[in-house]
Amino acid sequence: MELNDKLEILADAAKYDASCASSGAPKRSSEGKDGIGATNGMGICHSYTPDGRCVSLLKILLTNFCIYDCQYCVNRRTSNVPRARFTVDEVVKLTVDFYLRNYIDGLFLSSGIIQSADYTMEQLVAIARELREVHQFRGYIHLKTIPDADPALIDAAGRYADRLSVNIELPTQDSVQRLAPEKSVHTIKLAMGNIRLKLDEKEAEPKAPKFAPAGQSTQMIVGADASDDQRILTTAETLYGSYKLKRVYYSAFSPIPQSPKSVPLAPPPMLREHRLYQADFLLRSYGFQVGELLPAAGNLALDIDPKLAWALANREHFPMDLNRAEPAMIARIPGIGLRNAKRIVELRRMRQVRYADLVRLKCSMKKIAPFIVTADYRPARDTTPSEALRRSMADVQQQMPLWPELQAA
Amino acid sequence: MSGDAVPSTSPGDADDTAAPIDAVALAIAGHPIPVASFGDFRTAARDLIVRRVPPESVQWSGSETPHGDLLSAGNAGLAPMLPAGLLEQPPAPQPRIPRTLMEMLQSAACYRAPDRWGFLYKIVWRWQLGQQEILSMADEDGARLQHMVKAVRHEEHDMHAYLRFRERPPAAGDPRFVAWFEPAHDVLPQVAQHFAKRMGKISWMIGTPEATVLWDGKRLHGTGPLMRSAADVEDSGEALWLTYYRSIFNPARLNADIMHGHIRTRFWKNLPEAAVVPHMVSQAAAGARKVGQLDTVGKRTGTTIPIAAEKAAPERQQPSSLDDCRRCDLWQNATQAVAGQGARRAKIMLVGEQPGDQEDLAGKPFVGPAGALLDKAMDEAGMDRRKVYITNAVKHFKWEPRGKRRLHKTPAQKEVMACHYWLETELETIAPDIVVALGSTALKSILQSGSVTMKDYMGQPFQHDGRWIVVTYHPSYALRVPSAEARHEAVAAIVEALKTAQRLADGEAPGKL
Repeated sequence: MELNDKLEILADAAKYDASCASSGAPKRSSEGKDGIGATNGMGICHSYTPDGRCVSLLKILLTNFCIYDCQYCVNRRTSNVPRARFTVDEVVKLTVDFYLRNYIDGLFLSSGIIQSADYTMEQLVAIARELREVHQFRGYIHLKTIPDADPALIDAAGRYADRLSVNIELPTQDSVQRLAPEKSVHTIKLAMGNIRLKLDEKEAEPKAPKFAPAGQSTQMIVGADASDDQRILTTAETLYGSYKLKRVYYSAFSPIPQSPKSVPLAPPPMLREHRLYQADFLLRSYGFQVGELLPAAGNLALDIDPKLAWALANREHFPMDLNRAEPAMIARIPGIGLRNAKRIVELRRMRQVRYADLVRLKCSMKKIAPFIVTADYRPARDTTPSEALRRSMADVQQQMPLWPELQAA
Repeated sequence: MSGDAVPSTSPGDADDTAAPIDAVALAIAGHPIPVASFGDFRTAARDLIVRRVPPESVQWSGSETPHGDLLSAGNAGLAPMLPAGLLEQPPAPQPRIPRTLMEMLQSAACYRAPDRWGFLYKIVWRWQLGQQEILSMADEDGARLQHMVKAVRHEEHDMHAYLRFRERPPAAGDPRFVAWFEPAHDVLPQVAQHFAKRMGKISWMIGTPEATVLWDGKRLHGTGPLMRSAADVEDSGEALWLTYYRSIFNPARLNADIMHGHIRTRFWKNLPEAAVVPHMVSQAAAGARKVGQLDTVGKRTGTTIPIAAEKAAPERQQPSSLDDCRRCDLWQNATQAVAGQGARRAKIMLVGEQPGDQEDLAGKPFVGPAGALLDKAMDEAGMDRRKVYITNAVKHFKWEPRGKRRLHKTPAQKEVMACHYWLETELETIAPDIVVALGSTALKSILQSGSVTMKDYMGQPFQHDGRWIVVTYHPSYALRVPSAEARHEAVAAIVEALKTAQRLADGEAPGKL
């Protein structure tokens, strides 16, 4: 099979994977050195596809042959898809060629399970090793880790890769058992725990050989089982706390060809995935807890973002005086992000914060107006019932689609 | 400035040895001050500030493009003549510009605007007057400065992202890779450095309408414009990229608006992948998105993998029954159950509360900070860790999230009781003569009572179910107490208890203790 045909099949097979970030690697440069590649710690999106997702890494599967039968996965063994397998050299060549042409920032490599977990993991490690040692490639490498593989192989993977990830796949153990019968939450957790121990060891001993400097991440499929957002976010919170993950990626389930009956035929609304990412960001960076965003079982609101929903449910904190409030609380006001919260705190060291300052900071005034007090402003609507505020602030309704059957997600 | 590495072709700094422009003299004469680089501006602005020349009295002439006519006299004479007595005034102190502001000025200087130098001078002037709010977005000039910095950074980012190299045939010689880009601001020098780091010793050239940069594998060379449009280089590698680009797109998630929001329209004409986008979008809208897989792949014959379900399951160690324990809910948030560890026929068994963060990951009891303290205490008491058995009253880690950390939470009595089954099993198997209860949870579990308190049993070995029980603090209590004195006391108490246990194990009757 031609390289082009393999690429078509094995990129297609990888498109359901949500994670693609290339950030977090230590700074590296090839200036004056043999080999190629640089990282600046920030990561760059090199293109966007019409699904709105960025291309920052060459995201492919080593092979889509797979002996597992995960129901949500197009590459499950019972699926009737064309199969292909790259050689180690082909993946290396593609990565280097694409990198030189500035299409990508590095490689994101995953694989179907062939022969055994160990064998598959060995192949992934071999590619990373060849890139790093033979080609002196200093770009970003993200390896998907096979949870059942020998910890020594995961150790080796961490020496070459910037980031490792182990997919938790589904939010509950029951769902994993039902939809991914060959996988086991127990070994997934053990693999994550093992990676975290290695990361901790490396942190405690800076001179130790490097290990996955960009940390570890995971992915959860949303909408393939009946778990609600509270369950999903609680699982994410547990994973963040236990394994110090950099990211949990949420991937809305995409219907797959000849889908088995065990998974739904329709995808969840894309907006749900978006709200989960927003909530996740509030957990990671704003100090929110899942219990605050979703005190009871259920899903995040689709019509308003999670921070606005929290503010509307906790009106006792508002209106908040921007000239007096705790910095951490300012970031909890809907329409004020971390950066603007910081700017407001910096500004108020010099003088009183006024309404016009917020306009210049490009805050979403419609959103924040009912929640703030400044030196020259007090909301007239600070006693308006939350329900009424919500109606006025919910995302604008779209015009009815002209061709609903085409636009239906 | 990063531009230092790329000799600019502009006449202004073609000759580094040229005498610096006398900005003050020009300003007094009402002439525009020629500026071709940030270095020029910096020198001129310093002179002007020292002579207290206000921004509204200065004309600047910087070309839109580095090779324009810098000394065009078109604007000369518009500025009000400054008093000649200016030079006799005592000079103001040298301006002290903080590094962050200097970096912002430098970056904003790349922003193509006719009045860029005048505006930057106004910023310097206002800073010199002590108006620190120019650093804030809330200030009008500050907002514009930040906007310029942001636009320049954005342009750099876009050039890093959307510039595409094409490979020339090896026979054509250097440069091996050629790219064409049309930046909206003067970011080529910085961007060239980015690619120099990326490409190692491989030669390349980037052409823009205003200038060209060449990397010969060792250093950067700048020249005026050499190319007129996208590189006229055939590159067969581009076909693979288009294949990848088409295949990685998931038509089930069509959302072209976001894509357009990220890649600004003016870049599309030079992006190879842009040519295939309309077709992809229309195909996706016409039904491909329902299938979620490109029809090109769908047309090929597929293969199911003939392997029996039992054979596909990976070989795993059978989880122990403790791993499968569902007597309470603690297993859900824990990584694994942590069983006791130690000598099979140990005379002494140490019982702690529950595994902590480290123990949960490692699957072994007392390996974290509390374990280290316990090890030290055992050393001091002359107790050999290999000869004792160490376990916990509760086998799963109970915790609650605090940001990205796990905060230990004391197990509830019902969880202690649920887990007693496992402790009982260990007590039966190991059959120790002495049990050291480390902390109150351990004591409650051993006595199977939620109401007992430590202080009733501390320092007083007693018999229970035919074995000696010694009660002391949990090592993490010693880690938690705030005062050093209390900590020493707690550690001493633990050591004392371990000594007691050791003596009991050596056959001494408690009466002699």
